[in-house]
Amino acid sequence: MAVKYGREKIGEGIHYTTLINKRQKTNTMFIHLITPLSQDSVSGNAVIPYVLSNSSSSYTTVTALSRRLALLYGSVIKGSVAKIGDSQVMSLVSGCINDRYAFDREPITSELTEILTNCFISPYVENNEFYKKDFDLKKQELSDDIEAEINEKRSYSFKRAGLVIYEGEPCAIPVKGDLEAVAKITARSAYEQYKELLKTAQIEAYFVGGAECPQSKEVLTAALTGLERDYAGDNISEKSPAKQELRRVVEQHEVSQSKMLLGFKTDFSDSITLRLMNAVFGGTPFSKLFLNVRERLSLCYYCSSGLNDKKGVVYVDSGVDFQNAAKAEEEILNQLSAVQSGNFTTEELENARLSVINTWRGVSDGARSLADWYFQRNYSGGNESPEECIEMLRLVTKEDVVEAAKSLKLDTAYLLTGKENT
Amino acid sequence: MNKKIIRNERTGEHYTHIKHSSGLDIYIWRMEDYSTTHALFGAKYGSINTTFKTKDDSDFITVPNGIAHFLEHKLFENEDCDVFSLFAKTGASPNAYTSFDRTCYLFNCTDNVPESLEILLGFVQSPYFTDESVQKEQGIIGQEIKMYEDNAQWRVFFNMLGGVYHNHPVKIDLAGTVETIAEIDADLLYKCYKTFYNLNNMALSIAGNVDEESVIAVCDKILKPGESIELESAFPDEPLTVAQSEATQKLEIAVPIFNIGFKAQPQSGISAIRAEIETNFALSLISDESSDFYKTLYDEGLINSSFSSEVFWGDGYFCSIFGGESRNPKLVSDRIKEEIERSKKDGLDKERFEAIKKSYYGSLIRDLNDAEAIATLMINTGLDGLNAFDIIETVAAVTLEDVMKRLETQFDINNVTISIIEPIGKRED
Repeated sequence: MAVKYGREKIGEGIHYTTLINKRQKTNTMFIHLITPLSQDSVSGNAVIPYVLSNSSSSYTTVTALSRRLALLYGSVIKGSVAKIGDSQVMSLVSGCINDRYAFDREPITSELTEILTNCFISPYVENNEFYKKDFDLKKQELSDDIEAEINEKRSYSFKRAGLVIYEGEPCAIPVKGDLEAVAKITARSAYEQYKELLKTAQIEAYFVGGAECPQSKEVLTAALTGLERDYAGDNISEKSPAKQELRRVVEQHEVSQSKMLLGFKTDFSDSITLRLMNAVFGGTPFSKLFLNVRERLSLCYYCSSGLNDKKGVVYVDSGVDFQNAAKAEEEILNQLSAVQSGNFTTEELENARLSVINTWRGVSDGARSLADWYFQRNYSGGNESPEECIEMLRLVTKEDVVEAAKSLKLDTAYLLTGKENT
Repeated sequence: MNKKIIRNERTGEHYTHIKHSSGLDIYIWRMEDYSTTHALFGAKYGSINTTFKTKDDSDFITVPNGIAHFLEHKLFENEDCDVFSLFAKTGASPNAYTSFDRTCYLFNCTDNVPESLEILLGFVQSPYFTDESVQKEQGIIGQEIKMYEDNAQWRVFFNMLGGVYHNHPVKIDLAGTVETIAEIDADLLYKCYKTFYNLNNMALSIAGNVDEESVIAVCDKILKPGESIELESAFPDEPLTVAQSEATQKLEIAVPIFNIGFKAQPQSGISAIRAEIETNFALSLISDESSDFYKTLYDEGLINSSFSSEVFWGDGYFCSIFGGESRNPKLVSDRIKEEIERSKKDGLDKERFEAIKKSYYGSLIRDLNDAEAIATLMINTGLDGLNAFDIIETVAAVTLEDVMKRLETQFDINNVTISIIEPIGKRED
């Protein structure tokens, strides 16, 4: 096999995973802190990766840190926050070119690991809080980010629909929180939350590279095993329950094109079959939704479906003219009925299967896609390789796909539309 | 058929350039052990090529804006079926894009490369347009244009270009406008197709898990030789100064966003690559995250981490752009101009120049991991008559003196357009 996968438990709730693939010309490291989403901690947690990737005790300004990274051939350290199921994931990612490409073969990777580790466990702290001046700027940026979400209407409609689809569940909480929650955090409170996360959160570290780098591993694992721990336990996500009645929400904004999101709930447990069902239904440019709703009837500019397998939710995302929204919804549901009643050809099924295989085969070519593949599986306690999943996918029958489609129940219909359309 | 191996000592990499008997340039970069293959079949034809002539035309003709993009959409439809459904059988994932000066059709796949390539070369060479299908497409593209009307990043950029350029078609939205696409009909599409989709004006670029022999076999079978038609594009006269120094619009956004464009003399060929790279060095030295200038503005809360800069150039245009979010974009613009003047006077930091060079080089090495990035690099350089390693070698050879000279020539602080998108203001409920 092309990719060598190794996973070690190095502490309570701490794992170090290596993915070695000799074709990689770069080395990439990820450190994830994973914790349950909660209204009280969400914004304080969200700001942490941005503070950590900005400076550290050794490089106390963003300027000093950037200059050091530039000298390491434009190495990067980035912070981000994301959602997986009902959990919030605070991440640092760093990447560099392999040492063999350096002008003088300098040991880029191990030096970068030291800087990354320094950022992760030793932030720039003054008076027992994050250095206030920089922290306040990051806090301002976090609220700017939240405010700016409205600029991009497609992702904004996802966020707004999510509030309704996952109502009452941790997953409904926006990953950066809201303006009110951000306003409450301080350099002190966020620092306290950071220390708490180091103690209690699930920690997953990944190294993706062309070859093992023992020095890098030693530096990072020494830092992680040295943490004082009081582990809160592995994260779990519950499947999202279907509402008793379909919920409709319409929001009005200054837009010329409407966005429509439909959320379906499923308790179907086999995510590989769901993935294939999604490809037949709306996951490809030759799926039911694309060929019928967009191409044949020209009802939408885009119309595709996706899957949140951790939560058991299939969603359909579309951009429509307001006067076509009802017709588009009807047609989307017609197409779902077609899949539910087995009204698709062997060719449609095999094409969909081939498309998923094509995507999964390509996973190992990219550092990010590879690390994310295993992170998604490690989170649910699995570690299947793309090749193993492809083998399972080959066994899925038409009847299985029909069963999976039948489990879908329309739960939420969200429409973002222009002000003049009422 | 003429075959040449292009090697680069610095990276130890190589690729093959084949001049096919049909007139097409073919670039193949084999990536050992990769699963993915990325293929691009493209023409040197984009939204700016609206005025042109061939040896069959007595004079230049001008066609409606947005036609290159329209043509791209229409080629995805064969006479008897949708192109997506052909690729569905090979498992490849197809796509296409139109830029200011390129139209490219592409697929990526992990299996069945020759079969997918046959489909790619086949459909791009089989135009089929009727007035009915053109009409249907006018509806679809009309929706696409509408979607971009709501997109603040897109608007701020085109409003800036509209301020920088008086006449050059780069200032027009890639997709045209609802009015210009209404003028398009099947005859016009055929005219543009025959002019620009000539194999002498095109290239094929493939990177990844690919076998050279099988690529050539498919090309031999499918390619229809084209004779050279002596294609010329013309652009309206463009004054050196900007058309207007300010452009503002209101949209439903949170914090104002801005683009600041510095207009400069256009370049072409390898001298454009040098100008781009040296100007990029200048931009990094002045204002990247490791600069004192960035830190000062950041600490004052004038910019946030969305602040960035880029070089934007092509046939007949060249400008340097700063962009981001700010509550006071005009002050940001004033400060940038001051910093440029200060740098011209005091010089640029030698030590940071060396670090930026390593950083630039590192980013180019990182791209070599990725089949898509490599295929795109080969077709972009190839269609301009350049070698894919020209960029990495130019970066390695740049000196601080080169960058200082570039600072003088590319940044005239009196020849600038600032484009701002302001929030509409709180909604009245």
